Amino acid sequence: MSTRRQAITLYRNLLRESEKLPSYNFRMYAARKIRDTFRANRSTRDYAEIDRQMAEGQQNLELIRRQVIIGHLYSADKLVIENKKTLKPSDD
Amino acid sequence: MSFTQIARSCSRLAATLAPRRVASGILIQSQASRMMHRIAVPSMTSQLSQKFGVRSYSAKSTIEDIKFRVLKVVSAYDKVTAEKECRGRWQTQLVRRYSAKPPLSLKLINERVLLVLKLYDKIDPSKLNVESHFINDLGLDSLDHVEVIMAMEDEFGFEIPDSDAEKLLKPADIIKYVADKEDVYE
Repeated sequence: MSTRRQAITLYRNLLRESEKLPSYNFRMYAARKIRDTFRANRSTRDYAEIDRQMAEGQQNLELIRRQVIIGHLYSADKLVIENKKTLKPSDD
Repeated sequence: MSFTQIARSCSRLAATLAPRRVASGILIQSQASRMMHRIAVPSMTSQLSQKFGVRSYSAKSTIEDIKFRVLKVVSAYDKVTAEKECRGRWQTQLVRRYSAKPPLSLKLINERVLLVLKLYDKIDPSKLNVESHFINDLGLDSLDHVEVIMAMEDEFGFEIPDSDAEKLLKPADIIKYVADKEDVYE
């Protein structure tokens, strides 16, 4: 049986791990998906259903971990929108 | 010397070269026309050149053509490519700071915590107070609370374990916790 604390830990781990995804699109998608799925299932009371969702969450956590590694192996240039700091080397 | 400087000097060079190119073009053209006179069958020469694929730059190149070509080359230097971008980033990363973190005081921690909370979109800044309870007063749920704690971790640069995180229910708790962690007492 899964407890509230386990769910919160899973939520936190998922968010932390999804921040490491190197691809902007995957990162943003993962963050949205995690938030929305947890919100959508917050009122679930059926224990079997909760366990099933928690197992799925664990699977997805492992998936994200693998995907982080793969993403770093085949990394691409950052998109223009994700450059937070505009550190320009001086022109002259 | 930066890339833009190189590009600029290239364009200057190209600008000085362009008239000379035109001059040589005219020269070639005049030579060609002389040869054509010698052969005295102008229509046949054009057929020949078509047949053998002889390129005659001289006949067609106007100043506009040359300008266009030169500008194309120069603009290729001006493009911001991924390689150059990476180079710039790499250079900025070389700057290391060996000094310690900026000094913290209780007042500074207080300001930073409240700023992070104000920027969090689910908190109403008008209701925010050091003593306001996240869940009861500010209307956050436990998932929002996790995100608030994560934002604090990012702000102050250390991990807050779950067992501690669940006790931090007010901004004042967070301020106290951070101050304890960073050994700030005043």
